[in-house]
Amino acid sequence: MLESEVHDLSDDADYAASQQQGSASMMLRSDSTKNSPREGAEIVFMKENVAIHPTQFASERISGRLKLIKQSSSLFMTWIPYKGHSSEARLSDDERNLYTIKAVSFTEIRSIRRHTPALAWPYIIVVLSSGLAYPPLYFYSGGVKEFLATIKQHVLLVRSEEDANVFLVNDFQNTLQRTLSSLELPRAVPIACGPSNLSVDESVLNENQGRADNDVNNGSFSATQFPGRPSHKVDPARDLSIHVLEKFSLVTKFARETTSQLFGENHSNGFSERRTHIRNNLDHPRKSSHAEEKTSDESCVALDSQEFENLSLVWGKPRQPPLGSSEWIIFLDSEGRVTDSEALRKRVFYGGLDHDLRNEVWGLLLGYYPYESTYAEREFQKSVKKSEYENIKNQWQSISSAQAKRFTKFRERKGLIEKDVVRTDRSIPFYEGDDNPNVNILRDILLTYSFYNFDLGYCQGMSDLLSPILFVMDDESEAFWCFVALMERLGPNFNRDQNGMHSQLFALSKLVELLDSPLHNYFKQRDCLNYFFCFRWILIQFKREFEYEKTMRLWEVLWTHYPSEHLHLYLCVAILNRYRGKIIREEMDFDTLLKFINELSGHIDLDASLRDAEALCICAGENGAACIPPGTPPSLPLDDGSFYALQDENLWAALKRTSRHSPYPSQNTLLGFTPDPEPVSPVAFLASSLQSAVGASRSAVGDAPAFSLFQARGRLA
Amino acid sequence: MPSRRRTLLKVIILGDSGVGKTSLMNQYVNKKFSNQYKATIGADFLTKEVQFEDRLFTLQIWDTAGQERFQSLGVAFYRGADCCVLVYDVNSMKSFDNLNNWREEFLIQASPSDPENFPFVVIGNKIDIDGGNSRVVSEKKARAWCASKGNIPYFETSAKEGINVEEAFQCIAKNALKSGEEEELYLPDTIDVGNSSQPRATGCEC
Ligand SMILES: Nc1nc2c(ncn2[C@@H]2O[C@H](COP(=O)(O)OP(=O)(O)OP(=O)(O)O)[C@@H](O)[C@H]2O)c(=O)[nH]1
Ligand SMILES: [Mg+2]
Repeated sequence: MLESEVHDLSDDADYAASQQQGSASMMLRSDSTKNSPREGAEIVFMKENVAIHPTQFASERISGRLKLIKQSSSLFMTWIPYKGHSSEARLSDDERNLYTIKAVSFTEIRSIRRHTPALAWPYIIVVLSSGLAYPPLYFYSGGVKEFLATIKQHVLLVRSEEDANVFLVNDFQNTLQRTLSSLELPRAVPIACGPSNLSVDESVLNENQGRADNDVNNGSFSATQFPGRPSHKVDPARDLSIHVLEKFSLVTKFARETTSQLFGENHSNGFSERRTHIRNNLDHPRKSSHAEEKTSDESCVALDSQEFENLSLVWGKPRQPPLGSSEWIIFLDSEGRVTDSEALRKRVFYGGLDHDLRNEVWGLLLGYYPYESTYAEREFQKSVKKSEYENIKNQWQSISSAQAKRFTKFRERKGLIEKDVVRTDRSIPFYEGDDNPNVNILRDILLTYSFYNFDLGYCQGMSDLLSPILFVMDDESEAFWCFVALMERLGPNFNRDQNGMHSQLFALSKLVELLDSPLHNYFKQRDCLNYFFCFRWILIQFKREFEYEKTMRLWEVLWTHYPSEHLHLYLCVAILNRYRGKIIREEMDFDTLLKFINELSGHIDLDASLRDAEALCICAGENGAACIPPGTPPSLPLDDGSFYALQDENLWAALKRTSRHSPYPSQNTLLGFTPDPEPVSPVAFLASSLQSAVGASRSAVGDAPAFSLFQARGRLA
Repeated sequence: MPSRRRTLLKVIILGDSGVGKTSLMNQYVNKKFSNQYKATIGADFLTKEVQFEDRLFTLQIWDTAGQERFQSLGVAFYRGADCCVLVYDVNSMKSFDNLNNWREEFLIQASPSDPENFPFVVIGNKIDIDGGNSRVVSEKKARAWCASKGNIPYFETSAKEGINVEEAFQCIAKNALKSGEEEELYLPDTIDVGNSSQPRATGCEC
């Protein structure tokens, strides 16, 4: 599996081939441009209202016209945003140019992924042979099928065997072609707009003006037309695409950073070369395209790294409004069964639930009620479970005060719970004020739970998890059973040996390494790889990080386990990535970082972060899943019995034992660098074996993890 | 003014859950008490500028979660501490009994260079409750324990009423400073801590 992926990762031979073809076709095109912009160019497909979503709001989409243009024997795709559509995002010309897809040749395109969600607009993602991708193009007036059919008439288009929604372009399956070193790839990626290149930019701009005139005169624009310059084969379409990508994608940021890491400053020569923008806009008369090209350059110069950081990912799908009751009904048959739980989960994932529906749907999402249960069956279960709850509750209620005197563990547990419930969400009206009965219910449920699962008992953080559930269910027994269902998955977070937390923190470190290597390297350098600063995020599912309503929204989204059980870990990566620039720029050490993360509470943009998380999750694909040890919460535990084995009495002793070695697998162990002579914990063991697996798959890609992502995205997006 | 150097003093507050660590820290740094502090998850810290003689110090006060289960996190936070504050609730015998565990745990995880002389300060909190009628740990008992562990300075406080909190932290800061100074022998112009204003509190031998 991993092996084959390694091959896939370096199959950029297409790229090498396409480069030649690409520049050849550009030449052709330029020649015809010289004679007449339209000569020989035939529009074979045109679709209006194809939009991209630069922000999370569909209302801020940028609509434009998608065309397939046949010229000579080559097929090109263009997407040009409309001018002056006031109802949509107000675009400056600069921005418009940045988003514009100007004549990308199909020799440049590796695959097209089709998405036809049931409840949203269909869209496609065009993946270039470099592994980069354009932002999703949403077909507001339909036509995806027609689009693909047209392409098929002109280029070799085959459906991927692995995924029926992926269409491979010009995939000749020639393994020989796939042997090009992956290092060829970064060089092909222009390092656009980095601040260090600004000075270069300026001179290049001036140069470009002269040259542009020249271009117009001789109608050629290939870099090879300028003898005496170091020749990096530069494909204009690629260069243009990078502008779009720079604007849009985190993955491209990886590419840029990897590129600069790999090639350092000395690559700026090649960079200036690339800045020779080409007038290849088939949609516009020559002169205006010249003018536009210039603004495009300027806009590019104007972008600095700061600005990039503020741009969010756009290929997570736009969030939808919450699911409301009228739409909810559609998911149910006449007797109340959820007919398509997958569709429901997906819908909730993208929009959450109207508050009024939570009471009905949370029990299903949490697995307390089966999706296939009817209204009547749920009512029945409710009453059965109610008496079951009362039975368990009675176990501790019947402990007399005399008995309690000789029952230290009970007293302590009760005391701990009582101390915590009075410190839980007391500013929420539901729990506000002295002698609030809901606070007592909170206590009763937690105490009952500590008898239901006596081994796990009560642990701080549980009251945070229960609070919104009780608020939503507004019924003691129902809240209890929903909490039980949640704890089936999150229980290991509270294990005495903290293994649930450790495996999640470990997985997080691997995910950051995979998805954001600059940040990983920074943390490594700063000795922050234990990720303890994310402890609170993970332990209580971001409960302290968002206001109450947002927490409930997040939880129902996470509980869908769509597209991954571990989306919360990708959410961590997404949030960290959002602040990566600040973290590194301000050279935060462990203390400052912890403080910074703690103080992010209340300032995290949930919807945007969720979209980023989704995008990252999809980007990471199987490589991401491989970072997460089996049984990592909220996956169901692999082996029930062992989790709560350590008893209270042994705790201090055990702690001393472990801490004498290491209370947590040392970073070296964690990363699998040093063989550990001590007996290692299961987590550490898992960690090192996982490391070798991941390491094996990555070493073949050299230092370019970004491209493994592209590949994953190309196939799995 | 310009001659003043800033130094960071790191203080760790430990003790059972609910004894009032977060409340004490907030009372000292922000001069306020709230019934609505949440149970601490993970760790956090507050900083406060303190002045001794003509030098300014930043006191970095670390507040950790009290539940035993989270103690494996400790090592990440304890390292580099200059002083450790052990807090118990005078109304809870268990929280007092656990002081020994907290102390040992700290010494293991922080592994200070000179564990015998590492500065601790003990605080018995919540003396306001019931006007002291529900108290189960006597001052005598507490002091005896402190004496047995190398004369640990001892304070009785109420984070709620703000009683003795300032004094306790002044002692904590001085002890932290002292331990810091001892390590930083290369700093020749150490100040004479002994001469600075003595806190009113009992038991602080600094
Ligand atoms: N009466 C009284 N109550 C106090 C005092 N200090 C703290 N409390 C209360 O005791 C409870 C626990 O206080 P915290 O400061 O949150 O305790 P903590 O030690 O930080 O607890 P963890 O974070 O769980 O480890 C809260 O309900 C406080 O309001 C005090 O001096 N007097
Ligand atoms: Mg606290």
